[in-house]
Amino acid sequence: MPEHLDFNSDNESFNKKRQFRFRLYVAFIFTLILFAILIARMTQLQWLEHERYQGLAEGNRISIETLPPTRGKIFDRNHILLADNQPVYALKLIREKMDNINATMLAIQVILDNVDPKRVHDFFQKFKKRNRSKSYTLPFSFSEEQAAQFAVISHKHPGVTLTARLKRTYPHGASAVHALGYVGRINQKELKKLDPKAYRGTDIIGKSGIEKYYEDVLHGSPGIQQIETNVRGRVLRKLETLPAIPGKDIHLTLDIELQQFAESLMGEMRGAIVALDPQNGEVFAFVSTPIFDPNLFVDGIDHKSYNALLHNPSRPFINRVINGRYPPGSTTKPFMALGAIENNFISPNKKIYDPGYLVYKDHRYRDWKRTGHGLVDMNKAIVESCDTYFYELSLDMGIDNIHDALAPFGFGSHTGIDIHGESKGILPSQAWKREVKGKPWFRGETIISSIGQGYNLTTPLQLARATAILANRGKVIRPHLVRSHKTEALEQIEIKKISNWEKVIKSMENVMHSKKGTARRHATHLPFKMAGKTGTAQVFSLNAGDYDADMLHEKLHDHSLFIGFAPVDNPKIAIAVIAENAGSGSKTAAPIGVKVIEKFFQLYESETYYPQQNVTANNHED
Amino acid sequence: MKIDLPKTHKMYRKNKGFLEAMHIDGWLLLGILLLLATSLAVVYSASGGDEAVMTRQAIRIGIALTIMFIFAQIPPNIIYIFTPWLFLMGILMLIAVLLFGDIGKGAQRWLEIGPIRFQPSEAMKLVLPITIAWLFAHSKFPPSFGRLVLGTALIALTGSLIVVQPDLGTSLLIGLSGLSVLFFAGLPWKVIFTAIAGVILSAPVAWHFMHGYQKQRVLTFLTPESDPLGSGYHIIQSKIAIGSGGIDGKGYMGSTQAHLEFLPESTTDFIFSVLAEEFGLLGVIGLLMLYSFVIARGLYIASQAQDNFTRLIAASFMMTLFVYIFVNIGMVSGLLPVVGLPLPLMSYGGSSLLTLMISFGILMSIHTHKKLLSK
Repeated sequence: MPEHLDFNSDNESFNKKRQFRFRLYVAFIFTLILFAILIARMTQLQWLEHERYQGLAEGNRISIETLPPTRGKIFDRNHILLADNQPVYALKLIREKMDNINATMLAIQVILDNVDPKRVHDFFQKFKKRNRSKSYTLPFSFSEEQAAQFAVISHKHPGVTLTARLKRTYPHGASAVHALGYVGRINQKELKKLDPKAYRGTDIIGKSGIEKYYEDVLHGSPGIQQIETNVRGRVLRKLETLPAIPGKDIHLTLDIELQQFAESLMGEMRGAIVALDPQNGEVFAFVSTPIFDPNLFVDGIDHKSYNALLHNPSRPFINRVINGRYPPGSTTKPFMALGAIENNFISPNKKIYDPGYLVYKDHRYRDWKRTGHGLVDMNKAIVESCDTYFYELSLDMGIDNIHDALAPFGFGSHTGIDIHGESKGILPSQAWKREVKGKPWFRGETIISSIGQGYNLTTPLQLARATAILANRGKVIRPHLVRSHKTEALEQIEIKKISNWEKVIKSMENVMHSKKGTARRHATHLPFKMAGKTGTAQVFSLNAGDYDADMLHEKLHDHSLFIGFAPVDNPKIAIAVIAENAGSGSKTAAPIGVKVIEKFFQLYESETYYPQQNVTANNHED
Repeated sequence: MKIDLPKTHKMYRKNKGFLEAMHIDGWLLLGILLLLATSLAVVYSASGGDEAVMTRQAIRIGIALTIMFIFAQIPPNIIYIFTPWLFLMGILMLIAVLLFGDIGKGAQRWLEIGPIRFQPSEAMKLVLPITIAWLFAHSKFPPSFGRLVLGTALIALTGSLIVVQPDLGTSLLIGLSGLSVLFFAGLPWKVIFTAIAGVILSAPVAWHFMHGYQKQRVLTFLTPESDPLGSGYHIIQSKIAIGSGGIDGKGYMGSTQAHLEFLPESTTDFIFSVLAEEFGLLGVIGLLMLYSFVIARGLYIASQAQDNFTRLIAASFMMTLFVYIFVNIGMVSGLLPVVGLPLPLMSYGGSSLLTLMISFGILMSIHTHKKLLSK
């Protein structure tokens, strides 16, 4: 002990010790007195009033049981059911009451012929070690027929009761899985964050998509039922009930028919299609391929199927609509052009000579067309997708002006869709590069940025939204999947000259309908005018965190992109299509986009748009 | 209790046994192990024979014993040196909880740093009494008025940081552990009696500042039968469990109250009710005797401590242990309001066990790190 702590050497210290010990005695006696009070209390309860409590313990058998709420259903915009609750049967097991666990297990294995017997066995191994008096539910559901089979032999298996419950089902299977999401068993991590009262009696929770985002709405709140039981815990009668409040139904803006049509167009390809209403942001189709069946997850997916999906080289779990980050390629050009003419960097009529390349600092930046496009004005630059025009333009503008022109269209920021975890993409600027890469900006990078390559990354949803904003002439819509009844006040992009917007849109119309347009082949038969832009994105090595398409096979193929909207004058639908490694935009993505739009008008406005259109307005020269 | 000092010291000097060399106090360890073994058995029964639950608790006990052993190796003068810093850190963490705390069950008691999640108020259960002991390590008996005021202020500061979490129960108990140091440091009797009178008189004021759920608990405590299926349910079922146990109990694994799930939180806060139901009044008396033995041994260690700092710590730790036992048993038997407190060394759970075992480690360190006296 240090010197200053040693108090034993003087009288005062001795006195102090004596006083301290006196207080120790006081404390200990105090302790004993209070323990004596506890023992007196126990004597009262356990001896004097024992008989009364004994009676209560045997007679009083009112317990409280939770009634789990019914989960809200999900419908598409035409009230077609997308997520339903179907009654299924399950077995509840109480170990204490079972005679022969192994015999019961064998019987169950025989009846459950659709489940690997080993999984049943594994459950029983765990079950044998758990609380012997609690009831556990076998995590496999029984069909009506299987339930009937068990009912016949149930008298041989005490401690096992057949119960009915509601199981989440997705009648359209894999369709729209990335929008709907799915429910699954609550895991440990979720358990920590949940309000245990609200989830009493519930073992599933929304895991992704709408099911997760609107968990609070869909879940509802549990009810309570008092149950009188006898000493053995058998239910005698049900008393007072506080009914559960079911979750609310949700109506989506999706059209399942359009969705399935769009999914079928993608075939085996990887990619995404987003179609939305440019006036209010309602999403009509939300396609990310490949798709997978959410029904697998409801009762817990087995490891084999899960691993097969997880390690599938096409990565079906990735929600490409919000997490696929792709270089926008030439689809960025209409936005670039609009930014340039609105801010007077170039006049729409000014012609630039394109020899097929631009030389900057001894480096030759090639146009996709080796021979060049000759004299090019803005219209031609968009219609023929001339790269050199935008190379030159970008050097005049500089990356920060490009950034400021594109940012209002939502590139590089969240769209605010009602699904968790969307990616932001990248809209580069000098400040961005300094902050993220810690390096200064090079002007050569501006050149490739102008055609949507380089650092530029965008999600299909961002691209569709930007297209919608262009289509509706500057109304900044927020894409959303759940129909909302209140109309949001929309921000409006400042329009300097509306004719600039009309010129860009006219050029996009020419992409589809003029004889030189990159997508002219696909729109000839259309009875209405649409606007569009193709894109063919070179696959650079991205250091993308979320999803890196070039990690996949065929990785050297270009991504095929298309954006478009229709009709030109009063847009009802805007679309973005991305097909990974599928070659040029005009070959793959554009026809898909056109077909989806065509289907949309067949479904919704066939009277208005199909018969008696002014055919002469179209260019059929191709 | 024997206070024959010199003889004891001679014994220590001559026969420094294995346990002594490992800085373990055999008697204290014996009491603790008996309690922990009882705990494992009752937790197993209360969980309805859940092996997973018992295995987890066994692992926790193993870890807690190891940590006790480690703390027993730290000489008290090291703790003395670090005390002000520990206190400062504790206060900062309590403030951090208020700012960034994770909200569990409506109170922000948890702090998350990376993967670690802990309750700073749990650490304060040890740090506050040590700090107050540090404050009085050099003082006279009875201490000066200024020092008493300073001590009271530190207790009030800690208590108020915890009470706003809001966690009234823990705040009161931690405050009591600090006050117990003041008592052993020589707080004048007249101050003590005046304070007790003051608390009784100010009860109506406290009532005014309580949260709804706290008021509810007090009301339920006063008339549990008024709300038999709401908050009174816990107490009624617990009393039924205890009372139906009778004198010799229903036998091990015989708690129908726990097994038919009438008893809430049967492995944690209400573990005593399961023990009382299965082992009856005799079991209860046995348990209280075991606790008394541990407390007596701890107080003996306090009486043998060589300096003011360590003797105050030892005495205060034992009083805190006692208060926890009393409050829990008082609660489950309907003598005190339900405050949601585990029964020391018995309840299922890790954090309170860990705190307790650290305090036992410090106690053992105090007893086995004594310098031989020159006299």
